[in-house]
Amino acid sequence: MDLAVRDLKLHKGRFLATVLGVGLLFTIVLTMNGVYRGNVFEGTALITHTGPDLWVVERDRGGPFNEQSSLPEILADSVAAVPGVAQASPFIYYPVERSIKGVSRRFSIIGYEVFGGLGGPRELTRGRPITQAHYEMVAHEKLGVRMGEKVPLGLHTFTVVGLTREAVATDGEPLVYLSLADAQEFLFQRDNEEVRNQRERQRRSLAAQGVSPAQVERLLPHLAPDTHIINAVLVRLEPGADRVQVATHIRDWLYLSVFTTQEEVELVIRGRLARMSAQLLFFRTLLLLVSVVIISLVIYTFTMEKIRSIAVMKLIGAPNWTVVRMILEESLLMTVSSFLIGLGLIYSIVDLFPRKILLLPGDTMFTFLVALVGGFLASVLGVWQVLRTPPGLALGGQ
Amino acid sequence: MALLEVQGITKVFGHGHLEVRALDGVSLTVEAGELVALMGPSGSGKTTLLLCISLILEPTSGTVVFDGQTIYRDGATWLDVRRLRREKIGFVFQTANLIPFLTARENVLFPLTLVGTAPKVAAARVMELLEYMEISARADYLPALLSGGEQQRVAIARALANRPQLILADEPTASLDTARGKKVMALLKRIAREHRTAVVTVTHDPRMIEGFDVIYHLKDGRLENSPEST
Repeated sequence: MDLAVRDLKLHKGRFLATVLGVGLLFTIVLTMNGVYRGNVFEGTALITHTGPDLWVVERDRGGPFNEQSSLPEILADSVAAVPGVAQASPFIYYPVERSIKGVSRRFSIIGYEVFGGLGGPRELTRGRPITQAHYEMVAHEKLGVRMGEKVPLGLHTFTVVGLTREAVATDGEPLVYLSLADAQEFLFQRDNEEVRNQRERQRRSLAAQGVSPAQVERLLPHLAPDTHIINAVLVRLEPGADRVQVATHIRDWLYLSVFTTQEEVELVIRGRLARMSAQLLFFRTLLLLVSVVIISLVIYTFTMEKIRSIAVMKLIGAPNWTVVRMILEESLLMTVSSFLIGLGLIYSIVDLFPRKILLLPGDTMFTFLVALVGGFLASVLGVWQVLRTPPGLALGGQ
Repeated sequence: MALLEVQGITKVFGHGHLEVRALDGVSLTVEAGELVALMGPSGSGKTTLLLCISLILEPTSGTVVFDGQTIYRDGATWLDVRRLRREKIGFVFQTANLIPFLTARENVLFPLTLVGTAPKVAAARVMELLEYMEISARADYLPALLSGGEQQRVAIARALANRPQLILADEPTASLDTARGKKVMALLKRIAREHRTAVVTVTHDPRMIEGFDVIYHLKDGRLENSPEST
C-alpha cells in the first residue's frame, strides 16, 4: 500500500500548487544551464567553425576574439613562407554597431579572402558564397536581412548573396562576411572630412618643421593611414607538418603569437566567459537551494499535519521505516514531478529566447541528480519529526 | 494461565520536587476473553496504565507478563514491543483515529500489511471484518465521509485485523452519543465472547460497562479496590 501516493492524492491541490511553483524554479535552473552552455557554444562557435590549424596574432595578444590584435596584411605572406605552412590567409574580426534598416544593430564583421582563402562561411542556408571582390555580403539569419537585399554599410552598399546560421560572434551577435578589401575599407578607412582634417594637421606640422610647401605636398600621400590591416592570419598546415615546430618558427622568427584552435577556445572560455560561468553557477546553486528549502518546508508541514496519524501508525506497530518511507517518497515524488514540469516547460519555450539556450542531456541529468539529492535532504526535517513522535500521542496520553 | 499479569507497576514522571507518581504499585490480571473496565476520574492514571501495559510507555518499575512471557521487568524490556503490538494487541481510541488519507478498507488493511499477510488473504479478512461491523457498504469511503459511529466501527475492525489476543480501548465511547456508545460497547462484548479476545477498556461512564466481567477503580495512580465483578 503506497501511503505517500494516498496522502498526496488527498492533498492534491496543495501538491499541484507546490509542484508547479518548484517546477518553475527548476525551469529557471535548467534555463541557467542552457544560458551557460549557449554562451560557451556561441562564444566559441566561430572559432571551432573556422577551425584553422593555427591562429597567428599580434605578439603577446590573446586575439582576435579575447582582445584586439592588429597586424599588417603583408605578414600573411611571411607566414605563408614558413616551412610546413600549406596556406595562410588574412582574417578580420571586428564587432561593430551600425544602422540596419533604420535600426541600430550590433554585429561582427568577418573579412576574408573570398577567392580560396580560409575563414569564410562553410555552410549556407540560402544563396551562395561571395564570388566578387567587392560589394557582396553573406549575413547570419539573425541579422534579419533578406536574400538580394541592398544593405548600406559605410561608404558603400552591399548586396546580400547568402545567408548562414552556422556560427555567431563570440558575444552572440550575428556575423556579416565581407571580402577582405571591403572589410578593411569599412573598418579602417576614415571618411573624407577626417582625411582632410588629418592632412591639414600634417601639413601644418611639417611646415612648422621647416619643410617647404612643395616637399609637403610630395610627402603627404605617403603619410596617409594604412588600411591594409588584419586581425589574424589563419594557417592550414601541410599534411604531416609538425604543429609545434611551425608555431615555434612563427613565434621566434616573425615575433608573433600563435594558438591552436583549441587554445583559442580556451582563451575565450578562461577570459570573457569565466566570470559569467561563475555567476551562473552561483545563481544555479542558489535556485537549487531555494527549491530544496521550499520542498523541505512543504514536507515538514505535511508531516506536522498528520502527526497524529503517524503516532497511530507507530502505536499499532508500524516500524519507523514504514513511516519514514512515506515521508521520503512524498519528498521524492514532489521533487521528480517538479523537475518534470520544469523540464517540459523549458523545452516548450527554449526557442523563444533571444539568445541560444543549449540544453545538454548530461547537464539535465546532473541537475536531476542534484535535485534528487536535494529532495532527499528536504525530507530530513520531516523524517526527524517522524522519529521523535511518541506513539502515545495517538491516545492523547503522556 | 492469565493472558496478562501486571505486578506492582509504578510510573513516575519528572524528578525531585517536580516528581509525579502517575501509577503507584498497580497489579491486575486479565484472562483470555475477559472484559475488564478501568474506571476513575480524570488524571487517575487510567490512560497511563494502558500505555504501560502495551509498553508504549515504559513503567518505572514492576513486571508485565503477557501470554506467559515476561515482557517487562524493572526497567528492562524483553522483546520487540512494536512487533508485540502489531501482532497481539489491538487499539481502540477515544476518537476513531483513522488514517485520513486511507479509505475504510485501507485502514483495516494497514495492520495486515505490517505483518506481511498475503494480499488475497488480507483482502478477504478486511471484507469479513467490515461485514462483521456492518460497514462494508462504505468500504471505499475516506474517513471524513463517515459518521462518528461508522468511523469507530472501522477503528474496531482495524483493531481486530490481526486477530489480537488483547484489545486496549481508551474511552472508545467518549466521542459518541449514548446510543452509539452502547452499540460500540456491545460490539466489544460480542468480540470478547466470540473470539475469546480480552478487552481492557478505560471509561468513566458506568452505563457503558454493563455486562463486563471485572471492574477496576483507579484513584491517584492506585487501584482502589479488589477486582469487582458485575
